Amino acid sequence: MMFDKNNLRSSIKFRTKIIFSLMLFLGILLILNLYWLQIGDAEKYVLLSNKNRIRILPILPKRGRIITSDGKTIAGNICRYKLVMEQCNEQVFLKNINLLKQCINLDSKEESRIAKLRKKRASFIVIKEDLSWEEYSKLSMILFRLNGISVENIYVRDYSMPMEFCHVVGHISKNTDNMRIPSGKTGVEAILDDQLTGKVGNLQIEVNSIGKKVRIITSQAPVDGNDVTISIDSQLQKFVYDLLAQEKAGACVVLDISNGEVLAMVSFPGFDPNLISHQMTQAQWQSIVNNPLFPLMNRAVGCSYPPGSIFKIVIAFAALSEGIISPKDKIFCSGGVKLEDHVFHCWNRWGHGNVNIFDALRLSCDCYFFEVAKKIGIDTIVKYAKELGFGTETGIELPNENIGLLPSRKWKFLRYGTSWKPYETMIISIGQGSILATLMQSAVMIGKIYTGNYDFSPTLIKGKKKNKTQIPIKNECVKIIKEGLFQVCTSGTAANSCHVAYGISGKTGSSQVKKIKSTEVGIDQKRLLWELRDHAFFVGCAPGENPRYLVAVMVEHGGSGAAVAAPIARKIFDKLMKK
Amino acid sequence: MKHFFPNESKILFILLFLLLFISFLGQYSVAGGQLEGHLQRHIVRIVLSIILMGCVYRMDFRLWNNYAYLLYIFAFILLIIVDLLGVTKLGAQRWIDLYFFILQPSELMKLAIILTLVRYYSLLSAPEVLKLKSHILPIFLTLFPAVLVFRQPDLGTACILIGTGVGIIFLSGFPLKIFATALVSCFILCPFGWFFLHDYQKNRVLTFFYPDKDPLGAGYHILQSKIAIGSGHIWGRGFLQGTQSKLNFLPEKNTDFIFTTIAEEFGFVGSVLIIFLFLIICYYFFWAANESRSRFSKLLCCGLGVLLYLHVFVNIAMVIGILPIVGIPLPFLSYGGSSMITFTISCGLVMSSLKQQKH
Repeated sequence: MMFDKNNLRSSIKFRTKIIFSLMLFLGILLILNLYWLQIGDAEKYVLLSNKNRIRILPILPKRGRIITSDGKTIAGNICRYKLVMEQCNEQVFLKNINLLKQCINLDSKEESRIAKLRKKRASFIVIKEDLSWEEYSKLSMILFRLNGISVENIYVRDYSMPMEFCHVVGHISKNTDNMRIPSGKTGVEAILDDQLTGKVGNLQIEVNSIGKKVRIITSQAPVDGNDVTISIDSQLQKFVYDLLAQEKAGACVVLDISNGEVLAMVSFPGFDPNLISHQMTQAQWQSIVNNPLFPLMNRAVGCSYPPGSIFKIVIAFAALSEGIISPKDKIFCSGGVKLEDHVFHCWNRWGHGNVNIFDALRLSCDCYFFEVAKKIGIDTIVKYAKELGFGTETGIELPNENIGLLPSRKWKFLRYGTSWKPYETMIISIGQGSILATLMQSAVMIGKIYTGNYDFSPTLIKGKKKNKTQIPIKNECVKIIKEGLFQVCTSGTAANSCHVAYGISGKTGSSQVKKIKSTEVGIDQKRLLWELRDHAFFVGCAPGENPRYLVAVMVEHGGSGAAVAAPIARKIFDKLMKK
Repeated sequence: MKHFFPNESKILFILLFLLLFISFLGQYSVAGGQLEGHLQRHIVRIVLSIILMGCVYRMDFRLWNNYAYLLYIFAFILLIIVDLLGVTKLGAQRWIDLYFFILQPSELMKLAIILTLVRYYSLLSAPEVLKLKSHILPIFLTLFPAVLVFRQPDLGTACILIGTGVGIIFLSGFPLKIFATALVSCFILCPFGWFFLHDYQKNRVLTFFYPDKDPLGAGYHILQSKIAIGSGHIWGRGFLQGTQSKLNFLPEKNTDFIFTTIAEEFGFVGSVLIIFLFLIICYYFFWAANESRSRFSKLLCCGLGVLLYLHVFVNIAMVIGILPIVGIPLPFLSYGGSSMITFTISCGLVMSSLKQQKH
């Protein structure tokens, strides 16, 4: 029996059954695994398979041009040549590289970069961007011997008047790998980026395991960006730039009062946006960043200064609107105003005598405004200053606009934890102390007064339709101020430079940058260190009763507004009137 | 059972033709419809192999019995020669260049081991089989060539040789309890084998356990193979539409990874069909063993079935990622002469043994 059992167990038939059962078991194991792979996880693997073989490459659109109101293209595109190699096998690759070395410079660093990209299975490898003409002509001689190598056109940004327009037009991001779409970083390039960029097209290609293109699956052409027209006049801009270039640093804004369009906006010194948008060396960048005059800064809207005597217009406006003073009222200027044991001096030590509002503006009498400010108080000043655009954005489209600083009781308390002192009101009244404003804010203030509209705002876009809600200003006080400002240029501080037949109205300003000692009063500015000199301002408009143009000039540490800023404005007005 | 296969040899012929047709489709797809080169040679091999199978079928079956030991010795000597002066391909010495034909002695050894062991056991009487002593020689007969092949180094074929040998020893009636004990102890001792592996083999084993660790390096083949198979879904991407194989993402796509190409283009249905076809062929081999009278032909048919199925399982298991990649071809489907010859001879032998039964 025992033997029989063993005999059965050791029989081939029995063993065959065991082995075949094992085979069936293994077979089912395989089928189960295949089921998980091909049915359970199929979607995942289809996706992976497509990811393996399909590449989507962007086709960059041409960026729209930026055109000035007189039709000059200041930001366009120029064509450059780019050398591109298709993915290929080792043998073809080496042959290509050896041939290419004959006509273009390829150092070992570049070569290893290319080899690395090839290993990464990139479908297209950019061998060299921006081929020179010499390289291009040499290449075209041997192009037929090369395999899968092509010269492609690329468009790079080109700024035709870089220094004049750098702050207005801005620049685009540095285009490092040519795969990303460049985007606008500052200025018009940034604010109208959506219109300028266009739509990126794409190319769907099938690639094999080494990344070589096998066929094109689909392609979608890019949509080029739209051209935009800005309100600036290139000739005027150039003219203004050349005027400012004679100074060390400064800014100027020219507006069209009728519609708020900016005709020129210059900040000096400027920089070359062509450098920033293309290849720039570290040294070049450092020289821009470390320049003590900060050329990247837009002095017209991005920097704020104490507005100086220009702020007197606001005080006059506030006092007239509140009815605290009338044109008939006269205040005696003895050369100083006493407040709590301290004497606040007029710029004219000898005093102006009896002055009315017209005289006060004309001669820029400090004492008159000290007395007026004492009467109306800081709260009223802040209220009207705000209405005239100080301490708020002007509405210009540029990014990074500085809103300046309009001090108030609340600000003082939050900032220093102390209450407002009466002497501070006195200092504010002549545009000194903690008050800060941009040149554009001063220009807008004049614009508001001359249009009689609180809603006046500047724009860089040509023909931009603003839904202008007229917020009228009380007519009588505007008239008085206009008369006062007209007198400034006929017999006042700016009479030397701005007394002209077509009639300029405006206000000069010289704002101190440091506290002056009594011994320094009336000192010749040219004898001071540049950093300690006054900022010179002039804001004004022309011609005559119903002005068309508004000019605001600021020369940083220029000295006296009447002597430095006003002559520049006069030249600009002359140029504008000749048009 | 007897009437299950009405016309004994014909059924194997039909199965074989089906497989060879699939093989042709697979190679055609890999070649991208280009007749020159691989596809042409593959067709020639198929035709030659069928002729060879006919020859084996016509040959006197007893010859195999008589010359079994001689064949073994011949193959063994060839293995030693390879060990000493073989052609190095892909970092391994597996081939002997005979000027007109590159011979792979390990392939010949597969058949030689089966014939030798089968002959040895056919001479053993039933009580002798139960004694452990009588199994010592077969164990060494299996181990020696396996070690030589392992030294080439060819881990996959060495495993196949051992597997086939062990299969025949088991079939011959090796005591079950001892067999089970030996199997378990081998399993435990397995990790120590690690120290005998080459670096590239160690890498493969490591990659097998952690395929995602290095998807672009060593794990690349397994991952790409799985992607190809997985993306086949139920019905596949369609004949000639397999992107993974067409765009060269698959390694060794016409030899070891031919199953991947077919699974990608014909999907789950195609892959299961292939597994079933092989299972049916193995079943046929075992059925033929059952039909045979002599112990020699019984063991021979079973041994050949084990050899065939081991190849099928190891190959498919490695391409779907459940075994390390060890370089085992898929019978009949993979491109390569030696393997094709081995398996057509096997089929010829089985048919021959059935024919002999009739007479």
